Amino acid sequence: MVTHACRRQIVRWIWRWSVCPMDASRGHMSFCSTRQEHHQSSHTRQVPQRPGAQLNVRSLLEMGFSETQADEMHEGALKSRGKHIPSILTVLLVLGLNPASILKIMQKCPEMYSLKGAEIQQRIDNLRKLGLVEGSLQRVISHYPKVMVLPIKRVNMVSRLLKEKCHFTVQQVTDILRDSPEVLEEDLARLEYKFQYAYFRMGVRQAEMVKAKMFRLTLSELRCRHCFLERRGLYQTPDKKGQTLILIPLLKDFLCVSEETYLTQVAMATAEEFHVFCKLIEREQEEEFSNEEQELGDDDDDDDDDYDEKHWKTGYKRDKK
Amino acid sequence: MAAYICTRFCINKFKDSVRFIPRRYRVKSKWAQTRPKFPSTTIALQNFDTTYSMQLGNLWPSVRVAMLSEQKYGALINNFSLTASIITSGLEAEGCIDFIGSHQHSKDSMSLHEDSAEVDVSKPAAHDPRINPDIKCLVFPKGDLSRFKPSRPDSSGLLGYYLLDAASVLPVLALDVQLGHTVLDLCAAPGGKTLALLQTHTVSYLWANDLSGSRTARLRKTLQSYLPREYLEENKIQISSFDGCKLGPTEEKRFDRVLVDVPCTTDRHSVMVEDNNMFNRSRTKERKSLPLLQIQLLMAGIQTARPGGDIVYSTCSLSQLQNECVVQQAIHQAQEVGISVQVQDLGWLTQCFSNTFYFAPQLSVGELVLPHLCANFGPIYMCKLRRSN
Repeated sequence: MVTHACRRQIVRWIWRWSVCPMDASRGHMSFCSTRQEHHQSSHTRQVPQRPGAQLNVRSLLEMGFSETQADEMHEGALKSRGKHIPSILTVLLVLGLNPASILKIMQKCPEMYSLKGAEIQQRIDNLRKLGLVEGSLQRVISHYPKVMVLPIKRVNMVSRLLKEKCHFTVQQVTDILRDSPEVLEEDLARLEYKFQYAYFRMGVRQAEMVKAKMFRLTLSELRCRHCFLERRGLYQTPDKKGQTLILIPLLKDFLCVSEETYLTQVAMATAEEFHVFCKLIEREQEEEFSNEEQELGDDDDDDDDDYDEKHWKTGYKRDKK
Repeated sequence: MAAYICTRFCINKFKDSVRFIPRRYRVKSKWAQTRPKFPSTTIALQNFDTTYSMQLGNLWPSVRVAMLSEQKYGALINNFSLTASIITSGLEAEGCIDFIGSHQHSKDSMSLHEDSAEVDVSKPAAHDPRINPDIKCLVFPKGDLSRFKPSRPDSSGLLGYYLLDAASVLPVLALDVQLGHTVLDLCAAPGGKTLALLQTHTVSYLWANDLSGSRTARLRKTLQSYLPREYLEENKIQISSFDGCKLGPTEEKRFDRVLVDVPCTTDRHSVMVEDNNMFNRSRTKERKSLPLLQIQLLMAGIQTARPGGDIVYSTCSLSQLQNECVVQQAIHQAQEVGISVQVQDLGWLTQCFSNTFYFAPQLSVGELVLPHLCANFGPIYMCKLRRSN
């Protein structure tokens, strides 16, 4: 948590920068100055006295970074030539992230350097509106910093898809965003297809999907694990009334677990079998797509874009096995 | 809905009678609005789930997933083709292995290392029959999913190789045809095993029979595409479409070797393909009377074998009712007629090829190749009998 001293320091800088906005080139000059001896006094005195140009190792140290962390941050900032790095760091600090996490975030996602602090703040607020509260919010941002790079429109489109087309509740959407923020980057049609596969082909409902963190897996992984169990006779799609002839494992019991556990406890097969099966299934899928593409291509001229689009538009057919 | 067409009659040949079914009553699957609620493949699969889970126990899930996945093929090299060696080396360059030949080399090298003196490789012949070196069947290695391209005719118009389930070659190897033998193939169509028999170059006379006229025609065409015309005209091969059961009394004690590859529920085919499925409601009676037919065919095979001759019974089903039970019942019936038959051990065969195929452990009689994802051949059951009198 941010200490009072730190907060005071931050307020001071904000005041300083609003009064004397940092000159980009000057800022660069100060960055370019030698860092090898990062003694606080030496190089700052060489630069003309511009308060805004004082974002350098020293200011980073004052923010709470350790020496090595400050070095790395400085280096990253230099490479990226970002113009609003102090504001970014401010926003992240206000959020409550400690300097070590901030450094990791910036290293994981160098695109963040090119953002503005205000943008980041807006996106954080948007995530808050979607239900990610303190704790989850920080966790999502530290583990998946790319979420800050995505425009608000994109994030909202994904959450709207989940709510309206996939019929997840608001709470479930929040849980999905928290557990698998990768969905925000996924192609919308593919996301919907994955949902439809689980809903119609596997007979799984929304609550189970969320509990099993299904959106962490790619469609091919999901299909591999499911079809392997199904063809072994260990999984059956429930009928209209939700009944099956055999006891089927819960989704979370075979999706969330490691491959080893899955093979030894659920599927009870060897790894060799499973890998051969995955290759087989992939080939079956490719051939099915190319067959469908041929059928669709026989119709009047559609544009020759990837057949993927044509396929995804038809949605998932129930009786395709 | 189907458009109005003037009614024509179609002739449906149903066993011995001819029935006229008005065309409007025929099932036209391409116009059907809905698929059958319980397709025969599902019925077959449910049937297998109940029977084989008890029979195979823990092995059943692996067999089930293999049967529902794409089958693996082997390429039986046609020695009569001029380009046989080129084709073989071409396929080997792609990574294929001749599983029969490679075993042979390892066996030879092993026995050579055993003692310093000259070793007769065809040592205790009665104990360990030598595998005919002329039959070559190439397969991709374990776990390799590559497919074979269809074979093309060479300069003489003969095809280079025949694609079949590699496990189908095993009953032919088990039969162990020696030089100059006469062979009867009771249910020969569509001709994969017949072709393998002819590759051995040891057959002096082969009679290939199948009940169905259309399938016999297919067999004839197959042989014409693979064998040179001179060979076919030599009167070495006879093709007929009689009822195999009736051949028993008429051709008593005539053949050195008999292959009885009976019609069965063709398990792999039944779970994958809907057309002509054995588990179709209309074929229930036929299916239920299969074991009886199989016993009759095996009896006929036993009768046509000479004393000291061998009979190999094979099916492509996993069911005990069609495999072990049929063999045991046939032995019993033969005893009642005064023919004594002994079961020959095929352990030598399973040992040789345990690297290529998965064999079921501990069968009461005969050997069973189980489908497995890494070696997706089979299911093939085979049992070798020897007539003593």
